Amino acid sequence: MHLSHFYHWLANTWVANAINDSEWLFPVIESIHITGLAVLIGTIAIIDFRLLGLVLAKRPVSQLAAELRPFTLTGICIMLTTGPLMLSAAPERGYGNPAFTFKMSCLLLALLTHFTIHRRATASDRVSAATLGERLAGCLSLILWTGVVVGGRAIAFF
Amino acid sequence: MSFLTFCQWIETTSLSIAIREGALYYPILGAFHLLAIAWFGGMVLIGDLAVLGIGLRQESTAEILSQFRRWKWVGFAVVAVSGGLLWWAEPVVCYKSVSFSVKMVLLLLVGLNSLVLRRKTYRNLAAGDQSAVHSRGPRLEACASMLLWLGLIFTGRGIAFL
Repeated sequence: MHLSHFYHWLANTWVANAINDSEWLFPVIESIHITGLAVLIGTIAIIDFRLLGLVLAKRPVSQLAAELRPFTLTGICIMLTTGPLMLSAAPERGYGNPAFTFKMSCLLLALLTHFTIHRRATASDRVSAATLGERLAGCLSLILWTGVVVGGRAIAFF
Repeated sequence: MSFLTFCQWIETTSLSIAIREGALYYPILGAFHLLAIAWFGGMVLIGDLAVLGIGLRQESTAEILSQFRRWKWVGFAVVAVSGGLLWWAEPVVCYKSVSFSVKMVLLLLVGLNSLVLRRKTYRNLAAGDQSAVHSRGPRLEACASMLLWLGLIFTGRGIAFL
């Protein structure tokens, strides 16, 4: 099945119609999406800042990561619900949009990094400064999530 | 001169025209505005929740708040500067937007909450009085902070619609 068929199907689902029939539903979903962004990326950024030794440097990373995990997962749930809802209502914003492709690529890499490299880097119980590898994991995570945000913002301009 | 004429004058300035009509300035400012939320919004949320005893429980709230504070200021500086420039590009649109007016009121309340009300909380913290962080006043301030920031996100997004 060609991707355009999928978008065509998506645009005709009842959810898409419901969002498009309402004047305020789309902006409300968009606002929830931005709130989710603060929850998801904001909690990851705290851990990345910690890996770089910029905040709470006297606390073990593993402890912070464990306490913040439920918030990060909540953020992912918010984003993966509101994102597809917006896409269903305005598939033309995604299909063939280079910003959207860029965002999705960054998102895929960011999620992959988060559950592999990042998870390993935040497993350390040490209080001492992070190793070079852990710092690099923090940088990589910040860069990829930044790519997701910038790509997302750029969708409207293509 | 009314405020509207002032806004109209701003739109004739070269900076305003440059941001509005340049292909890149507007999206770049928008990206910074959003990035500040992504990078530092979590510290607002997690800091406020810590006051309520939610989330980071093994660290002392005093430590969390003092560690986050300077980064929250960095984040605020980025949203404020990028937001100010975005406003400078389209002050008349903002003037006519109900959502923007509400947003400015909320912004004023955020300032009041963190600079006036929370000052005492931060002073108690600096004096080493940690038990005071979880009392009723600071808890209410933390709730107000979260609700106001949520309102800022919604009304900010709403400018394009209302």
